[in-house]
Amino acid sequence: MPHLLKPNQSFLSCSNQVPRFHDAFGTSNMQRLLYFCRSWFLVWTCSRSVASCCCCSGGLLSTPGMLDMSSRASWIFAFSLASSWWTSWLSLSMLKNTAAKSCICHMCGAHLNRLHSCLHCVFFGCFTKKHIHEHAKNKRHNLAIDLLYGGIYCFVCQDYIYDKDMEQIAKEEQRKSWKLQGIGEKYTTWEPTKRELELLRHNPKRRKITTNCTIGLRGLINLGNTCFMNCIVQALTHTPLLRDFFLSDRHKCEMQSNSCLVCEMSQLFQEFYSGHRSPHIPFRLLHLVWTHARHLAGYEQQDAHEFLIAALDVLHRHCKGDTIRDDNGKKANNPNHCNCIIDQIFTGGLQSDVTCQVCHGVSTTIDPFWDISLDLPGSSTPFWPLSPGGDGSTVNGESHLSGSTTLTDCLRRFTRPEHLGSSAKIKCGGCHSYQESTKQLTMKKLPIVACFHLKRFEHSAKLRRKITTYVSFPLELDMTPFMASSKESRMNGQYQQTVDVLNNDNKYSLFAVVNHQGTLESGHYTSFIRQHKDQWFKCDDAIITKASIKDVLDSEGYLLFYHKQFLEYE
Amino acid sequence: MSKESRMRATVNQKLTEMGERERLKELLRAKLTECGWKDQMKAHCKEVIKDKGLEHVTVEDLLVEITPKGRALVPDSVKKELLHRIRAFLAQHAT
Repeated sequence: MPHLLKPNQSFLSCSNQVPRFHDAFGTSNMQRLLYFCRSWFLVWTCSRSVASCCCCSGGLLSTPGMLDMSSRASWIFAFSLASSWWTSWLSLSMLKNTAAKSCICHMCGAHLNRLHSCLHCVFFGCFTKKHIHEHAKNKRHNLAIDLLYGGIYCFVCQDYIYDKDMEQIAKEEQRKSWKLQGIGEKYTTWEPTKRELELLRHNPKRRKITTNCTIGLRGLINLGNTCFMNCIVQALTHTPLLRDFFLSDRHKCEMQSNSCLVCEMSQLFQEFYSGHRSPHIPFRLLHLVWTHARHLAGYEQQDAHEFLIAALDVLHRHCKGDTIRDDNGKKANNPNHCNCIIDQIFTGGLQSDVTCQVCHGVSTTIDPFWDISLDLPGSSTPFWPLSPGGDGSTVNGESHLSGSTTLTDCLRRFTRPEHLGSSAKIKCGGCHSYQESTKQLTMKKLPIVACFHLKRFEHSAKLRRKITTYVSFPLELDMTPFMASSKESRMNGQYQQTVDVLNNDNKYSLFAVVNHQGTLESGHYTSFIRQHKDQWFKCDDAIITKASIKDVLDSEGYLLFYHKQFLEYE
Repeated sequence: MSKESRMRATVNQKLTEMGERERLKELLRAKLTECGWKDQMKAHCKEVIKDKGLEHVTVEDLLVEITPKGRALVPDSVKKELLHRIRAFLAQHAT
């Protein structure tokens, strides 16, 4: 039977039923004083709040209609609130002990039956077993607070009552307690500000997103071999985080001229989500791209991948107005430490480890990347032969038709250790001389959106051709085997026998595929876009048609866009 | 107090002391949101409120209505995972 706390006289003389808190805190008078001061601070904040229980006058004072918190009641409220949440301020280990030992029902000693604290005196009671109800009836103390969520219960109304100030305090305390427990920020539902309510009232038109709606889908007119640009635009306008950024108007332009590409992107999103079904003519976008990326100007067919990188680069440069500022209001000068939306979404870190074959010293560098370019079998660079059925070959559940290459194969090849050969000796810091070494690439930090570029266009000295080898790619991708951390644990002898189901950080979902049909000289780009889960559409310039998952997965694949499945706050 | 409830109390105390209970709660919250349970419950609450009328419904009414359905709708995979975690924790911290 859990130890039932006996009432004891403490420095609080206003009640005769007090749990032995000083046992949990230690007998340090300093700590008690600290606790005392904190409680008075809470009293001060609470005494400024008014709990109004309009349906009954069973409050602490019988003022009809309104409920006032006398300073004594505030003190009790503060004490009980403090006992459950603020005790953690003294020390984290005390929190665990205090929660386990002190916050228990005065009648039965349980602490998990929706424990409530009386607001008139210091009494804790179960709600489920009606112990607090008994106390309320016997003592005619009609208000109690739920120690888990901070809700206030009125025994006369027989329901929870709501007061804005109390809710505010409860919210604050909850946030503090999450922080102390190491949970950090948690998602809380959006509550509109006064200004937002005003805007919503003045703009009553609403657009409802249902499971089958086609909002956000719009064709793009081909302005003369501009299908390469159209595909990338389709992929970008369907990148969830990017869409949310632009639709919530987060870009603050600091460019004087009219040539900000980010502003144009913002306009583009407005066009796409306007609900218009006619194809959009992106002439302004094309003009801006020609202005800022001269190498892409002209009406010849360009490479979609090159366009993607150029577009991300220009957007990143034009995002200067949105970069974070440090405490003095100065912008971060370092271009590598930009925190613009493009970097937040697309930038990952690629770790390169060069191991000296003689002394085994490792030299590590980490470079940022926006995309991963993967070599394919059939190119002039030899593809590492991989036997299907080797370890982890079913990691991503890809269709393994005999002999066909998978995206995972390409990634495995990308992250394999590579002998640099005697003609490419690296100067070793440990040996102080040129030695043969191996180099290995792994992912240090994964971006929120991972873009894989299958190198289908070969421009070597001998020939220019397109590699049409079929590479199968999955709808869901787990990047864990290719992480730098996985490599380290493999090297430390911890072989991952089972995939850790609880680690969701490295799981990705496919949301866009860009395909190229035809030859190097004359070809055409189209894209597949994910509108909702398992709902895909094919975008062929101005023509948008429904597509099946099979269509998507059977396609050749040139650029593959994957989005992280689970996002967390920093 | 029966032996079972005594054991439950001891296990709970151990979980709370080590902070594991909070972590498990967070895990459970995440899993239930993921599998759509939270949305199902929200929808059911709305139904109950519609039936009883917004002015007259109390928190207790809602609890009484949705608790059995809530318990029944928890997917087996979630139960398995939580159980696995608790077992692993107890094995690690056996006294």
